[in-house]
Amino acid sequence: MKRDLHQFQGPPDTRFPNHETANTGSSSKDKMMKVKEEEDGGNMDELLAVLGYKVRSSEMAEVALKLEQLETMMGNVQEDGLSNLATDTVHYNPSELYSWLDNMLTEFNPPPPEINNSFLAGAGGSDYDLKAIPGNAIYARSNQFAIDSSSSSNQAGTTVTTTTTESTRSMVLVDSQENGVRLVHALMACAEAIQNNDLSIAEALVKQIGFLAVSQAGAMRKVATYFAEALARRIYRLSPPQTQIDHSLSDTLQMHFYETCPYLKFAHFTANQAILEAFEGKKRVHVIDFSMNQGLQWPALMQALALREGGPPVFRLTGIGPPAADNSDHLHEVGCKLAQLAEAIHVEFEYRGFVANSLADLDASMLELRPSEIEAVAVNSVFELHKLLGRTGGIEKVLGVVKQIKPVIFTVVEQESNHNGPVFLDRFTESLHYYSTLFDSLEGVPSSQDKVMSEVYLGKQICNLVACEGPDRVERHETLSQWANRFGTSGFAPAHLGSNAFKQASMLLALFNGGEGYSVEENNGCLMLGWHTRPLITTSAWKLLAAH
Amino acid sequence: MTRTRIISPTRFPSLKSQRCGSGGDASFMEQLLLHCATAIDSNDAALAHQLLWVLNNIASPDGDSSTQRLTSAFVRALLSRAVSKIPTLFSTFGNTVFQPPADEIHRFSVVELAGFIDLTPWHRFGFIAANEAILTAVEGYAKVHIVDLSLTHCMQIPTLIDAIATKLNKPLLLKLTVVSSASNFPPFINISYEELGSKLVNFATSRNIEMQFTIIPSTYSDGFSSLLQHLRMYPTSYNEALVVNCHMMLRYIPDKTLTPSSPSSLSLRNVFLNQLRSLNPTMVSLIEEDADLTSDNLVTRLRSAFNYFWIPFDTTDTFMSEQRRLYEAEISWKIENVVAKEGVERVERTETKGRWLERMRDNEFGGVRVREEAVSELKAMLGEHAVGWGMKKDDDDESLVLTWKGHSVVFATVWVPI
Repeated sequence: MKRDLHQFQGPPDTRFPNHETANTGSSSKDKMMKVKEEEDGGNMDELLAVLGYKVRSSEMAEVALKLEQLETMMGNVQEDGLSNLATDTVHYNPSELYSWLDNMLTEFNPPPPEINNSFLAGAGGSDYDLKAIPGNAIYARSNQFAIDSSSSSNQAGTTVTTTTTESTRSMVLVDSQENGVRLVHALMACAEAIQNNDLSIAEALVKQIGFLAVSQAGAMRKVATYFAEALARRIYRLSPPQTQIDHSLSDTLQMHFYETCPYLKFAHFTANQAILEAFEGKKRVHVIDFSMNQGLQWPALMQALALREGGPPVFRLTGIGPPAADNSDHLHEVGCKLAQLAEAIHVEFEYRGFVANSLADLDASMLELRPSEIEAVAVNSVFELHKLLGRTGGIEKVLGVVKQIKPVIFTVVEQESNHNGPVFLDRFTESLHYYSTLFDSLEGVPSSQDKVMSEVYLGKQICNLVACEGPDRVERHETLSQWANRFGTSGFAPAHLGSNAFKQASMLLALFNGGEGYSVEENNGCLMLGWHTRPLITTSAWKLLAAH
Repeated sequence: MTRTRIISPTRFPSLKSQRCGSGGDASFMEQLLLHCATAIDSNDAALAHQLLWVLNNIASPDGDSSTQRLTSAFVRALLSRAVSKIPTLFSTFGNTVFQPPADEIHRFSVVELAGFIDLTPWHRFGFIAANEAILTAVEGYAKVHIVDLSLTHCMQIPTLIDAIATKLNKPLLLKLTVVSSASNFPPFINISYEELGSKLVNFATSRNIEMQFTIIPSTYSDGFSSLLQHLRMYPTSYNEALVVNCHMMLRYIPDKTLTPSSPSSLSLRNVFLNQLRSLNPTMVSLIEEDADLTSDNLVTRLRSAFNYFWIPFDTTDTFMSEQRRLYEAEISWKIENVVAKEGVERVERTETKGRWLERMRDNEFGGVRVREEAVSELKAMLGEHAVGWGMKKDDDDESLVLTWKGHSVVFATVWVPI
């Protein structure tokens, strides 16, 4: 299958010398080039030259994301003259690689989610001097190309395990601690190289990372894979497919994330607890949700309001979300379903959905607010505020709007990490630690569609925060103290989440894997959910300072 | 384009009709609990979480209404069940939330236990009815052998000893036999049965009654077979009355619902009664709670349990908080056992009166009507307690039933071999 690489912008990069002329020696690369040239004589984009094959624009891959990963790794196959800098070179068995590629070109199958199984050993080396691999390295994506581990010479000290995946591919892994350390170093070194604008070094390192990642198992491999892809994109200036299409996809991914691990549920339940308590005694209440998505947060709150002492209030919900790609009114759909629920539980319900590209486009006047003596308002934001930090004035505008709303409570859930520092390397380091911890916590979850999709969900975040810049970089997470500062200077005071919220969180966590590993911490009245000692998600609640 | 998916509102229980204050109506709570149980058992974690969150908010263990506290006990039991479905051990969490009730169970001293039991007619009812029948049955016997299979660690006996002591024709010897496994469920005492026995013997001596106290190691899990064997080995001698007093103990004997694969005739309860019958006892008293907690289906069982255990919560609603807490802890233990445990761990397998009567008749026992003196004594006793307590006589089957606000609570029956 061919791919249309024209969809990727990126000027021809002069860092990459023209590959056609840089061929050295007789190598399988030559063979491959010949194969491709035979296949069609179409144009070769310069980028394609890097990656080594031709595409037809008529064929668009639907699994662009995964394919890009694959192609980045495939780029390692094309050795060029520039990476004479990597000292640790690893080589692959040429004949097997050839047949693998041949198979790829003639019979493409969409890669399954566990794409990281199909990594190819990276190659470095200035002159494409092929030697036998130390240890066993390659594995194929299909049965026909099951690699015989005995074909390569073994170097002492590496352990070899053979595993069979569910789709009966056989895979040979090399697992060694040493490689894990090298992997982290390679990641950091690559980021540093990018920071210093040494893109050729960075490129060499990213290829190494691909190979080293394969030698790891579990969370480390996945994290390294996502970070490697993101780094590659940054190096090659391949930005991820634009976000417009992605809203429904990211909603779906978030659903899977919701089911797989407790973070989103924790966010919802703790925020709901604060809202429920703030609404005590109020007869008419209004929730403005900046993060409507599928409305997963609200059924439980509505049910609790339905059963509270003194009977339920009149419940109004305003849901705000980005436009859907197919112009369907998905916010409306969500509202209808919530309305059905409200009817079933006898809660008077009113709903309005607002589509906005960015929260900063909102104005208080649009929201049809009613006087605060009549209607108590809560504003809720789960993982949305950080997206505003990329545009100047964004967050200030939104906080201004919140103040105009005069909510009795403003619940905020954000990732607990600083991924918004001015220095790329710092952001990279922080996020590497953060996502490693997050992926670690997913390791205990039995494999399922949900889990895989959750990992993709997180992978997209990684990709955005490493590969993008400027307004495109939306995953600008910050820590509680940073947010607290910002809220404080904007005229908000913290509203402590009570012990009920803590108890609820603890209780509900007990149901996830027995609560093993997760920890709930209270920090200045805010609740943090973390994995082992590392806090990952923070729920905080805010109210207006009287003076403002 | 992927269709948006939302937790379907129809999965949330639709609650009908009125609302009321004070933490919500019992029927709402019940419905939510049932839905939660279904969600847990079908591994629907997301719905279970949502329902537990709601339940936790509307039902607090220190809530004002007994319904809230009852629901809270059920929520803790459901949590316990949910957690035990997960193979890994759960770490001790906020010591705030998650304590298995068993840890909190109080160990009573004998005096405390006596006081505790006297708080409500729950046990007194059966004590009085049984003691009256026993006094009648042992009239004229020189020796009286009482086998006390009771949940309450012989709390019935001192009154009986007193009554016997005041009779004109006192028996020469009073033998009291108990089993040693009676201490696996609440209420728990803080002394050994040996000590308990010696206290009772001393008490009897102080009333000029000679008493022997025997402890037989025997367990409910095999239908007290060692006890029965012992009784067979030492059959009643001439002029000796054998009285078997079963006070809320027989429910612990496994029944068909524990081992559904075994043929129906092999119910251990039936085996016990059959072997008991073959000993030709002078009298058997059977006092049990009137509820069906045997279903294999969690939802059914939970519904039955909710519709029964609201009663003890309600009866103690007006008590002082310390006593009430103790009471509720005992009941919570039972609730947890019924809801969260399975297999041999689930010991609380209470059967209805109808079922027990059937068993007794099947095993050739005939019911005996309790005397009028007993009935008036019972009425007098009930008068000492809250207004909601009552009793009814069931003319069809010679049983006496203790009621709370009209609902059947405990039944007391007396049997002789026929």
